[in-house]
Amino acid sequence: MMSVHRRSVLAGAVGLMAAPLGARAQAAKPRLTAISQWSAGSDGAAITALGKKFEERGGVWQHSPVPGFTTDMMNKLRAQIISGDPPACSQLKGPEIAAWSKIAPTVNLDATVAAAGYEKVVAPDLARLHKPGGKWSALPLQVYRTNTLFLSKRAMDKAKADKIPTTWAQFNELGEKMKAAGVPYPVANGGARADDGQKFEAVLAGISPSVYRKAIMELDDKALASPEVRAAFAQLRKIADWMDPNTAAQHFSVFLPRFVAGEMGMLIQGGWAQGVLLNGGFKLDDFIIAPGPTDNGKPVFVLNADAFIFWQRKEADLQAGQKLMAELVMMPEIQTMYSQITGSIPVRTDVNLSGAGWSAGQVEAARTLKEAVAINQSVLSLAHNMAQENGITAAMIDVLTEFVKNKAITPDQAVKRLGEAVASAR
Amino acid sequence: MRRAPELLVIWVPLLLAAAHIVVFTAWTVWISFTASTLMPVSEFVGLRNYTSVLATRNWKIAFDNLFIFGGGFVAFTMLTGLLLAILIDQRIRGENVLRSIFLYPMAVSFVVTGVVWSWLLNPGMGVQKLVNDLGWAGFRFDWIVDREMAIWTIVLAGVWQAAGFAMALLLAGLRSVEPDLIKAAQIDGAGPLRMYTRVILPTLWPIMVAVLVILLQMAITTFDLVRALTGGGPGIATQLPALVVYDFMFQRGQIGRGAAAAVLMLLTLLGVLVPHALFKYARRRRAANA
Amino acid sequence: MLERATSDTMPAWGRLLAHVVVWALGLAFLVPFLVVVLNSLRTAQEIAQGSMIGWPENWAFLNYSEAWSEFCVAQTCTGLQPFMWNSAAVTIPATIVSTLLGAVAGYAISLWRFRGDTWIFGLVTLGIFLPQQVRLIPWTFVLRDIGLINTLTGLVVIHTIQGMSFTTLFCRNYYVSIPQDLMKAARIDGAGFFRTFFRIVLPLSPPILIVTVIWQFTHIWNEFLYGVTFTNGSQQPVTAALIGLNAAIADVPQYGVQSAAVVLAALPTLLVYLFGGKYFLRGLTAGAVK
Repeated sequence: MMSVHRRSVLAGAVGLMAAPLGARAQAAKPRLTAISQWSAGSDGAAITALGKKFEERGGVWQHSPVPGFTTDMMNKLRAQIISGDPPACSQLKGPEIAAWSKIAPTVNLDATVAAAGYEKVVAPDLARLHKPGGKWSALPLQVYRTNTLFLSKRAMDKAKADKIPTTWAQFNELGEKMKAAGVPYPVANGGARADDGQKFEAVLAGISPSVYRKAIMELDDKALASPEVRAAFAQLRKIADWMDPNTAAQHFSVFLPRFVAGEMGMLIQGGWAQGVLLNGGFKLDDFIIAPGPTDNGKPVFVLNADAFIFWQRKEADLQAGQKLMAELVMMPEIQTMYSQITGSIPVRTDVNLSGAGWSAGQVEAARTLKEAVAINQSVLSLAHNMAQENGITAAMIDVLTEFVKNKAITPDQAVKRLGEAVASAR
Repeated sequence: MRRAPELLVIWVPLLLAAAHIVVFTAWTVWISFTASTLMPVSEFVGLRNYTSVLATRNWKIAFDNLFIFGGGFVAFTMLTGLLLAILIDQRIRGENVLRSIFLYPMAVSFVVTGVVWSWLLNPGMGVQKLVNDLGWAGFRFDWIVDREMAIWTIVLAGVWQAAGFAMALLLAGLRSVEPDLIKAAQIDGAGPLRMYTRVILPTLWPIMVAVLVILLQMAITTFDLVRALTGGGPGIATQLPALVVYDFMFQRGQIGRGAAAAVLMLLTLLGVLVPHALFKYARRRRAANA
Repeated sequence: MLERATSDTMPAWGRLLAHVVVWALGLAFLVPFLVVVLNSLRTAQEIAQGSMIGWPENWAFLNYSEAWSEFCVAQTCTGLQPFMWNSAAVTIPATIVSTLLGAVAGYAISLWRFRGDTWIFGLVTLGIFLPQQVRLIPWTFVLRDIGLINTLTGLVVIHTIQGMSFTTLFCRNYYVSIPQDLMKAARIDGAGFFRTFFRIVLPLSPPILIVTVIWQFTHIWNEFLYGVTFTNGSQQPVTAALIGLNAAIADVPQYGVQSAAVVLAALPTLLVYLFGGKYFLRGLTAGAVK
């Protein structure tokens, strides 16, 4: 214990003087302290597998999961920062990476990222989030698409429909058809706040990804009051009318049996819903996975990504651990392993998904991401805290969830409220 | 010298307990005037946090709900507790078992039972579905998805948790009523109803005040229940001040605004407690003068 | 207790009605916990494919052994067991110390009057209204400064100091009803602060001490926010492990094992209520809270 401590102090002093870590830091046995929410399920399994890889390369893996809501994990992180003992890396995502990196020093990963030639294989929006101030200090682990459309096979059969809707007009047509054919609720959903936000973002991005970028990601006042945003609210109202009004605050997985049974027709969810369905004992031919509708006919990808931020530590072993961890999470084979466990898609757009272990849904989503990035139609998710800092996100979701739950609010009123919420949260 | 150990034992813990309350409250007040976001900072911003909190719909809804929930929860818990206490006092068979049944909800965390309540109250899978499936198809119990009524589901679950506690205290009070008092009333020919309203309940008054304080405390700090039962919804219809405080401080990363909400909440409480204290003080003065 | 004159005035049909009402309410109160117990005996798939509320098709008793010693939180597959010990290591000392300190403080305030006692009592009692979310960040600074962050001792300190608000309130209100004559007699005998406490006050205290212990034990055992913020991985309390089991987004929650874990984690508090409950009522009957 004592010798490790003394050595780490020494190495820390050296590290402070010379920014490039050099051979001295490499000499220490890499160790990583990490905190995340991923304690159970496939998230837990994936991070555990990553830890095993870390250990295989001679590292000491010290992951301490903080169960509960994201706020609980953030409270823990804040407490560690206050006590001068931040973890070597911790789970954090979206614009919060920039916000939190203002309150404590982070590691500059530029050299490691450059050595891996990573920047050119990552979606530009995603890269921007992980290099606040132009310096890489966080790395994304995996990507999910939040505008994925799941169709219940039995509801489709009931409606005698076999065409997957690709525009919102077709979506509405199919909804009418299902309703007429006796599917009580053409849209399946959960009752959490994020569910309501997720439907809105899928709609607006599908109507116009460029307005989405301006309104949601850049908070442009004119775009926020644009006809497209109004149209998105009108479409959201349609969707809300097709949902079971009795979901209350239940998790969307609670309603999956009824979705599969054909009582509910279409589910707008993140790619993770596939894993939830399969883990619940349902079969791949119980449902169809498709990209969310897009009105301009070109692929749109609403992006959600989990990431790790790296906090500055003086100890040589932790610094070596951070470097090893950064190298690991950028490797195609590690990203493949991770995504195959959780059902996400790799961050790298150059990973080959033709091998075994990938589902058709993952292959399609990865292809869509690549195509959407190429034509600038990949946008960042609002509902999953990728587009804005949490304060603004929460204020916007307040408006969206109230709109979904209160049919007396008109789209025009909603547009006005959204603008006001943004103004007051800024 | 001789009194040193007792001074130590009395004062050190009491001062620590009092100091943490004073210091933490003062700190919160101070932070509410600063630009603190993810971390407390000392940049002074005047009343800005207060104006922005007061402008949010969340706060307005939470503030109204505090009175609906606080009033409903305290009143119905007291009434249920009283009813249970009076019923159990009728030489009921299995009293010990019943007492344990009514008390157990207090022992289990709402992180747990809140989830179960959210199932029971959900029209699609709980009580309504059960009654519908039994053949009464028109039966409706869908408060939890009704923006106006949802707050009452929180009241319901809250009453379930605390009624046994009120019952235990009130039952203890009933059992310590002087038998002579009751005999005297019987000789006067008082029936059971008159007996309770005129003779027995007035003697329970001090216990009721004690119950009231504890229930008020529960009402104001209610947090886990809402988070597990409705998540603040439908929409934001079941927000409560304690949730708004937490939401600003930790979810939205706006510690200054969260502190402002906390101060507003404590001021509301003082608005209730101070008149009570003044009233008590005035009454004591009058009693002393008489 | 012997003279229950009120109930004697009840007609026979009235007592029958009382039985029906109170037992029906009792059964209703049991429902939420019953749902948990039934779910603890169902498999995850059965719940995922059917409804959250239901009768077990295949009795999955294995849920319990999995919950107790097998399921994994991250890499550690130890089940609930070690976390139960963590909770006990925090709850037991914090309960005992805060109760004893509250007893001494309550005794000093109520019977040994000193300058400023009303003020300090008022301040300490006000603490029950201060939501713990508001205290989270200040406690972080305090724990950092006394070097107890990420230790179970730190949690014990927090719960002891915060708990004194309740324990002092309970004990002071109980001791107020001890006749001053007893105190005077003791003083004439030349008994000091501690002698009087141990000889006269403590022997009269078991009822209120049991009330206080029950209250503290359940609150500290069920606490989550501090438990998860101020500990690391393997030191976490059982509430954190319970929530860790609740795989939030990307998976089907393991309701079966989770419910079994809930039942196991609730056992200590339920047992405390069951055994303590008898004394709880006796304590209250003796005029505990006024």
